[in-house]
Amino acid sequence: MLQVLLSGVATGAVYGLVAMAFAVVYYVTRVINFATGQLLMMSIMATATLSEHGFPVALAILIGLAMSTCAGVVIYGLAVRPVLRFSRFSFAWLVSTLGVAIVLESVAAAVFGPTSRGFPALLHQKSVHLAGASVTWQELLAIGVALGCLAGFELVRRRTLFGKVGMAIAADPEMASAVGANTTMYAVFAFGTGGLLAGVAGVLVGPITYANPYLGGTYGIVGFIALMIGGVEKPAAALGGGLVLGVLSVGANTYIGSQASDWFPFVVVIVVLLFAPHGLFASGNLLKRRARRVGARYASAEGA
Amino acid sequence: MTAMDATVGSRQPRGSRRPRPWARWIPLGWTALVVAYLVATYRIANDSLYVQSVVLTAAIFAILAVSLDLVAGATGLYSLGHAGLFALGAYGTTLLNQHGWHIFLLLPVSLVGVGLVGIVLGTVSLRVSGLYFAIMTFIFTLVVTVLLSNLEFTGGLQGLPGPLFPDFPPALSGLGSSLAWCVGLILLATLVVVWSIRSSPLYPVLLAIRDAEPFAAAAGVRTSAMKVGVFGLSAALAGMAGWAFSFLGFISPGQFNWTVSVNLLVMVILGGINTRLGPLIGAAFVSAFPVVISIDPFLQEVVLGGIFILVIVLFPTGIVGVVSTLARRAGWRRPPPEAPASTTVDIAPVTQAPLADRAPGTNSDGAPGSDRDGAPGSNRDRAPGSNGAGTSSDATLGSNGGGNGSDAALVCRGISFRYPTGTKAVDDVDLVVRRGTIHGLIGPNGSGKSTLVNLISGQLRPDSGTIEVNGHLVHDAAAWSRPKRGIMRTFQTAVLVQELPATENVTIGLYSKVGHIAGRAALWPLLPGARRDQRGMRSHAASALGMTGLDRRWAGALIADLPHGVEQLTQLAAACAGQPSILVLDEPLAGLSRSEIEQVSQVLRRLQRDGVTVIVIEHQTRFVFEMCQDVTVLAAGRLVASGPAAEVRSNDRVREVYLGQ
Repeated sequence: MLQVLLSGVATGAVYGLVAMAFAVVYYVTRVINFATGQLLMMSIMATATLSEHGFPVALAILIGLAMSTCAGVVIYGLAVRPVLRFSRFSFAWLVSTLGVAIVLESVAAAVFGPTSRGFPALLHQKSVHLAGASVTWQELLAIGVALGCLAGFELVRRRTLFGKVGMAIAADPEMASAVGANTTMYAVFAFGTGGLLAGVAGVLVGPITYANPYLGGTYGIVGFIALMIGGVEKPAAALGGGLVLGVLSVGANTYIGSQASDWFPFVVVIVVLLFAPHGLFASGNLLKRRARRVGARYASAEGA
Repeated sequence: MTAMDATVGSRQPRGSRRPRPWARWIPLGWTALVVAYLVATYRIANDSLYVQSVVLTAAIFAILAVSLDLVAGATGLYSLGHAGLFALGAYGTTLLNQHGWHIFLLLPVSLVGVGLVGIVLGTVSLRVSGLYFAIMTFIFTLVVTVLLSNLEFTGGLQGLPGPLFPDFPPALSGLGSSLAWCVGLILLATLVVVWSIRSSPLYPVLLAIRDAEPFAAAAGVRTSAMKVGVFGLSAALAGMAGWAFSFLGFISPGQFNWTVSVNLLVMVILGGINTRLGPLIGAAFVSAFPVVISIDPFLQEVVLGGIFILVIVLFPTGIVGVVSTLARRAGWRRPPPEAPASTTVDIAPVTQAPLADRAPGTNSDGAPGSDRDGAPGSNRDRAPGSNGAGTSSDATLGSNGGGNGSDAALVCRGISFRYPTGTKAVDDVDLVVRRGTIHGLIGPNGSGKSTLVNLISGQLRPDSGTIEVNGHLVHDAAAWSRPKRGIMRTFQTAVLVQELPATENVTIGLYSKVGHIAGRAALWPLLPGARRDQRGMRSHAASALGMTGLDRRWAGALIADLPHGVEQLTQLAAACAGQPSILVLDEPLAGLSRSEIEQVSQVLRRLQRDGVTVIVIEHQTRFVFEMCQDVTVLAAGRLVASGPAAEVRSNDRVREVYLGQ
């Protein structure tokens, strides 16, 4: 049981990082960057290729992260901003980011071929024993990094002027830009952060999954599902969704069958979306949310 | 409808549409197109197997793209679920055929079955927002492909061999491949259905649901049900495409994954979203691309994706949009008649002339008297049948209004409403509106006027109290059902469909007047009665626009090109076109010029002559006390005074809280 919980949290931390990468972008720009999974794949492929060619592991990772960060910004510049300028309220960005996802995956498949290649080990696969359960250092690292990223984001958001302006833009971009906030700069920053978070998640899963071009699709979809479970509005909720999904997936693998984690996340997300369309952690805790939802249902019945 | 027809002959030639001498050739042109289509199908059916497989796949994707454009383009619902629905059609056909179901029985089964799945999916995912819909349908496709890959009986990742399509009997073997004919005919059927909808009066309604939902709901459209219904139809067509696809050979989950949904959207946007030909061109382009440019398949995806991103960024209207822009620039098609030039012209002198012409005639024909006689009589007939609450309110009405009790068109009793945020916007308000009067509703900002109007028109439901319209209790009825009770309304800021001409926007106001628009839309141009109705609607809309005093040249101009005042008057015309017995106007003068205000006054007088009861919220007290027989004053959600305008005006409390004297 504890074992399931611990491995689940470790797996979920990575899902949560990908979900946070989605959520940070959405928080500032109200755009879901569907190419987030492919950014994760970029950092993995770049790191693996560079370390294969003899680069020191740390440098390879740094370059990989830099690449996914830059790619996030490039996606904004090429595929999102022009489309938003055309019509702010339609979903053209949805199609264009999905298009970017397909292009990136095909490019990687064309360049690297569909087979997996090795990825440098980050930490020794030694285990730590904790009250009968064991965790690898690698897993502890994932949990630590995810929590650290969230803490960093929240600190910047709440304690700095930069973060407060970001919150203003998130709440009302037109008003914020009317009082002088540079919304474009924040959008660039958000896409960059999203790319960085996805890249970090990639480096964390690389040693387990090895590097292959289709990882982007897999982790992109799982991260997106985690995002839907937790709630799209806040990065913290997204990370929470990732942890919930991780624990449930590992639980399903343990108690239902070894292939159960292929389909179990979808069952979870459907149940969550049916009963809490905005996600489990959408505003405040679950209970608060429930109380609000009763009010909201009341309101929508009135408005119908 | 006969009254409408009578006006057609005299009005249409003078309307915005110039007489079209070629109109009678239209049916002939369509027949020629269909014949050409069938000849092309014959050629394909006798071509090589390779050509057939390429063309048939393209045709099936064309069905999918056309059905997707119906939801994404016209209704604004970006569905990513079409790959999943397509898969259900294909797998359903294959699996049920293995169990002995005949394939021709499976055609209606897959249409209805997948259509029902679409209706359930739509009902569940349209609850929150458009983005939520896109996400839910995306997850639907993911779930379908995951299930297909993991279940035993679907053959896992390998998939299943599809059923065989029976050949023609020997007598007909000259026709070639039966499957080619089958796909050709279902594509034709899809085009007939979708293009019929696009030329029916339902099309402006769909665009209104996409761009101006409150406007559509106020015209009596059940917007949520309509969205679900359109998505259900689109899903059924996708199921039919799946049915046909299963005959092409092996089916496996990889052919239906989420990238297929994206590809379908790519086809629609590449060709031109919300156009007739766009989805066809897009499907042809995307399907032909790998055939014409044979390179490494990964590289193909990259090039195609690159082209697509370029198109969506640089030419978001797609191929059809670019071509028609070029055509317009080259002068093949004229821009909306003289709209750009006339924005600078002051419309007052032009528009007052027709009103002046009209005024003496209507003044002398004694219409008011006859209308007044007619209305109370009909109300009396109804009174015995109405329930207890109705009669009791009649009684109190007598003591309240000081007139004939049954003379009330609208009675609100003890209405309270509190917003979920806690603000009590309307607190125990009684409102009696006498039939045939113009009733002013005034009060400081935040006094609950707009909330009260939203309660009357059904956008909100009261927490307590009753609303009675022409003897029927309506406070629990949905907003869309109220136009049928004779209530129409306008909004403070007009939000109309920008890409349609003013006349088409006004026809939306006729939605609840013309029967079975949604039911007949799928075959609209083929039904003579429907075509007659549409002509009637157009001429009726044109005369409603004329009634507001708008110059005819605006009628054909797109709303996007119109100044604010004209848009506001168009909205008023749409509400008037629905021939309401009670018209509710929420600040109809906001942002209007002085001459336009005069036009609105003329419209109100005319409506009153026609026996329409008008409730008007307005801040311009001069206008209110000049136009209205009765005035109700609200402050902080409570009733301050209500009664004849002169009395209210001299009321001390009204002077204190509102007039500031």
